[in-house]
Amino acid sequence: MEYSNLRRQTIFMKKNLFDQGFLDEQFNQLEELQDESSPNFVEEVVDLFFKDSSRLLTNIEQAIDKYPQDFYRLDSLVHQFKGSGSSIGALRVKNECSVFKAHCNDRSLEGCRRSFQKIKREHATLKQKLESYFQLLRQVGPREHAVSSRK
Amino acid sequence: MRPDERKGVVAARRDQFPVGMRVLAVDDDPVCLKVLETLLLRCQYHVSTTNQAAIALKMLRENRDMFDLVISDVHMPDMDGFKLLELVGLEMDLPVIMLSVNGETKTVMKGITHGACDYLLKPVRIEELRNIWQHVVRRKFSTRDRANLDIYEECNKPSNADSDHAHGHVTCGSPDQSGRPSKKRKEYYSEEEDEGEEDNTQETDDPSAPKKPRVVWSVELHRKFVAAVNQLGIDKAVPKRILELMNVEKLTRENVASHLQKYRLYLKRLSAVASQQVSIVAALGGRDPFLHMGAFEGLQGYQAFTSSTSLSSFTPHGLINSPRNNPAAFGTQRVSASKSIQTVTGGHALNHSICDANKYHLSSPGNQQGNLGQGMATSLGQTQMQPKWIQEETDDLSTIFSGNGLANSGMSATLQGVTSSPLLPQELVECTQVKVGSQPSVLTPSVSSGHLEGTVGVSSSLLDPRVSQQTTIPLSEFSASGLPIHGLFNNSCATKLGATSSASTPVHPSDDLLVARDTKAGASSFGSTMLLPPDTEQKYLNFGGGNSFKHKFDERTADSLFDLKFVWSSGLSSQSASNIGAHHSISQRWNNSSSNNSNIGARMIGQPSSSASTVAPHAKSDFLISGDMLVPKNASDLSVPKLQSELSSSSCSFDGLLNSIIKVVRSYHPLVSLPQHPSL
Repeated sequence: MEYSNLRRQTIFMKKNLFDQGFLDEQFNQLEELQDESSPNFVEEVVDLFFKDSSRLLTNIEQAIDKYPQDFYRLDSLVHQFKGSGSSIGALRVKNECSVFKAHCNDRSLEGCRRSFQKIKREHATLKQKLESYFQLLRQVGPREHAVSSRK
Repeated sequence: MRPDERKGVVAARRDQFPVGMRVLAVDDDPVCLKVLETLLLRCQYHVSTTNQAAIALKMLRENRDMFDLVISDVHMPDMDGFKLLELVGLEMDLPVIMLSVNGETKTVMKGITHGACDYLLKPVRIEELRNIWQHVVRRKFSTRDRANLDIYEECNKPSNADSDHAHGHVTCGSPDQSGRPSKKRKEYYSEEEDEGEEDNTQETDDPSAPKKPRVVWSVELHRKFVAAVNQLGIDKAVPKRILELMNVEKLTRENVASHLQKYRLYLKRLSAVASQQVSIVAALGGRDPFLHMGAFEGLQGYQAFTSSTSLSSFTPHGLINSPRNNPAAFGTQRVSASKSIQTVTGGHALNHSICDANKYHLSSPGNQQGNLGQGMATSLGQTQMQPKWIQEETDDLSTIFSGNGLANSGMSATLQGVTSSPLLPQELVECTQVKVGSQPSVLTPSVSSGHLEGTVGVSSSLLDPRVSQQTTIPLSEFSASGLPIHGLFNNSCATKLGATSSASTPVHPSDDLLVARDTKAGASSFGSTMLLPPDTEQKYLNFGGGNSFKHKFDERTADSLFDLKFVWSSGLSSQSASNIGAHHSISQRWNNSSSNNSNIGARMIGQPSSSASTVAPHAKSDFLISGDMLVPKNASDLSVPKLQSELSSSSCSFDGLLNSIIKVVRSYHPLVSLPQHPSL
C-alpha cells in the first residue's frame, strides 16, 4: 500500500516536473538508459550536473563582475552551461541560457545580469525538486522489486 | 585488462561490426561526456572518453588503428573542436562527428567545411548514435572508390577531358550516387594513405584497385585547389588546368581529377544541405533588398534584382531565348526561380553571387538568398562568376543564379544566357539538382531531380538532357528553402530550366515559366532573362508567383529551369502560371543563349526582391524580359497579386519578383509562343 502510494507520488511528481517545464524528453531518455548495470544512472548524472554547474555558475558570476564587456567570454561560459543542462533535460535552465546568449549578442550587460539571476533561480529550483524526487525514488526502491516491506 | 587482452576482446567484437566499433568521445563537459558514453555503450560500441582534445590527439597519434570514429564537442576550452576535427581528418583520416548545443546553420556549415562527416545537436539521442557506424563504412568504401576512380579517370583520359570528367562526375555525382554508395562528399579533401595500412583494409577488400600512393589533401593543398578551381570557374575547371594552376610537384592529373569529383559532390551536398536549411521564407524574409543586385550589374541591366528597380535595367536580351519562347525555359525551375529569387531577396547575396558565379556557393544555405540573386545575377550575363567555393552563403546561391556562374562554367556562365551563353543556368541547374521536382512537370522528369518545388535546381534538368550531365544538384528543398535555386544552379544542372523546352511553353502557368523554354538554353536563358527591365520587376514578381508556377509547372514541362526560378520566388507556388508565362518569355530570351541553365531562375531571383510589392500591380505583363514580348501584359491574369501574397514573405522582393515572374509567365502563357524578342 504504502509502496504503491509512494510510487504514485513519484509518478505524480515527475509528471509535474514535466508539465511545469522543468524537464523535457531528454530526462526520459536518461531514465531509459538506466538498467541493472547502471541502476542509479540518472541520479548520478544529475548529481554530476549540479556539481559541475555550481562551478560554472560561479565562473559566470565572476566573469560578469570582472569582465563585463567580454561578451564572448560570457557567451561561451553560458554555452557550456546550456550544453550540460540540455543533456539532463533541464528545459527551463536551457531556455534561460538561450535568453542570456541573446543578450550577449545584443551586448546588453543589464540583460545578461537579469538573465543570469533567472538562471540561478531556475537552477536552484530544479535542484531542489530533483532532490526530493530522487529521495522519494529511493524510498520506493528499484522498480523491479515492489518492496513493500520497506518503510 | 591488459592492453593486448583488451585489444583481443575488442578485436573479437569488431567482427560483428557495427557492434564493437571503437569510438573516441571528446567533450569537456563531464555531464555530456558521461551521458554520451552511456549512450554509446548502449549502442554496443566500444567507447573511450577524454575531456581534453590534447589527450585525444595524443591517443590517436599513438596508434591510428585504435579507433574507428571520433565524436567531439565543438566548444572546448583547450582546443577548438574544428581544429581537432581538421587535424584528425588530415592526420588520421578518421571520420569525425561534431557535437554541439549550437545548431546554427553557419556553425554547422563550418563543421562540414572543416570535414566533419556529421554534425549532431545536443542533447544527442540514441537513435542518432545508432547510425553513426555508417560513416565508418562509407569512408572505407570511399577509399576504395577513390582508387577506382583514379583508374577510371586514367583510362578515360580523353582529349576532352572535361566532358569526360563531367560525365564521370555526373555519374558519380548523381544524386543517388549510382554505383558509388559511399562517396563521402563531405570529406572532400581526405584521401587516406593506402599503403597497406591494416586499418584501412581491415574491413574492406580492396584487391582490384591497384594500390596507388594516395595523396593526402592537406588543408593547404586543398586551398590551392579551390583557388585554382575558382579562378577557372567551376565549369571550366578541368583537372589539367587546375593542376597547372596549382603547380604542385608530384601531383598528378588523376589526383586532381578525383579530388575535383569529390569536391563537386561536396558542393552538391552542401547545396542540398543548404537548401534544406534554408527556408524560403527565411530567405525571403530575411533579406531585404536582397536583390541588390550588385552582382547583377554584370548582367546586363539585370539590376532588376535589386530590390528596387533593378528590373529596369534588366535587359532582356538574352533573356528568353526568343527562339524558344518556351516558357519552359523559365519554368524550369520554377522552384528554383523562386528560390533564386529568394536568394536574391537576400539581397546582398545575390549581388554577390552573381558576381561570383560561384557555383559552389550554392551550397551555402544561408545564402540562399544571395545565391539566388547571384545565380540570377550571374546568369544575367555575368560571365565571370567566379565560383567561390562556398563563399558566402548568400553568394552561393546568387552566384548560381546569377547565371554568371551558371551560364558559363557552371554558374556564371549559365546566366550568360543573356549574353547568350546558353548554358548558363544549366550548369546551375544541374548542379543544383534542385529538385525542381514538383514543378517540373513541365520540365521534364529530369528536372525533377531537384524538385524545385522547392528546389530549383532540378528543373533545369528537365530542360536539358544535357543538364543531366552536370550534376544536378538536388535542390529539392528549393521551394522551401529558397536555396534550392542555388543549388540548382550550381550544379551545372543544366538547368534545364532554360531548356525547358521551349516547347512546353505555353505560358501555362507552370510551365511557362521557363525554363522549359529553354530547353536548350537551359537554364542559361533563364538566367539571362532575368534581365527583365526594371518595370519588369513586377513581372518578375510574377515569376515569383512561382506559386502559381508551381503547379503550373508541373503541367508544363516547364523546364526545370523554370522551376528553379519559381522556386525562388518563394515558392511561388501559385504564381506559376502567370508568372511563368512571363518568365517564360524571359526564359526564352535566355534560352536564346541557349543557356539552359536556369538562368531564368536567376533572373527571377532578382526580381522578386524588389518587386514583391509591385508584383501585384504589375500583374501585367511587364514581364519585362525584354520588355516586349515577353510576357504579355496579360499578366493581369497572372496571379501576381497572388504571388505577392504568396510570396509572403516578407518583404523579400524576391517573392514579389517571383510572383511577377510567375505572373509574367502566366501572362505569357497566352502568348506562349513568344516571338523572339528583337532585342534578344
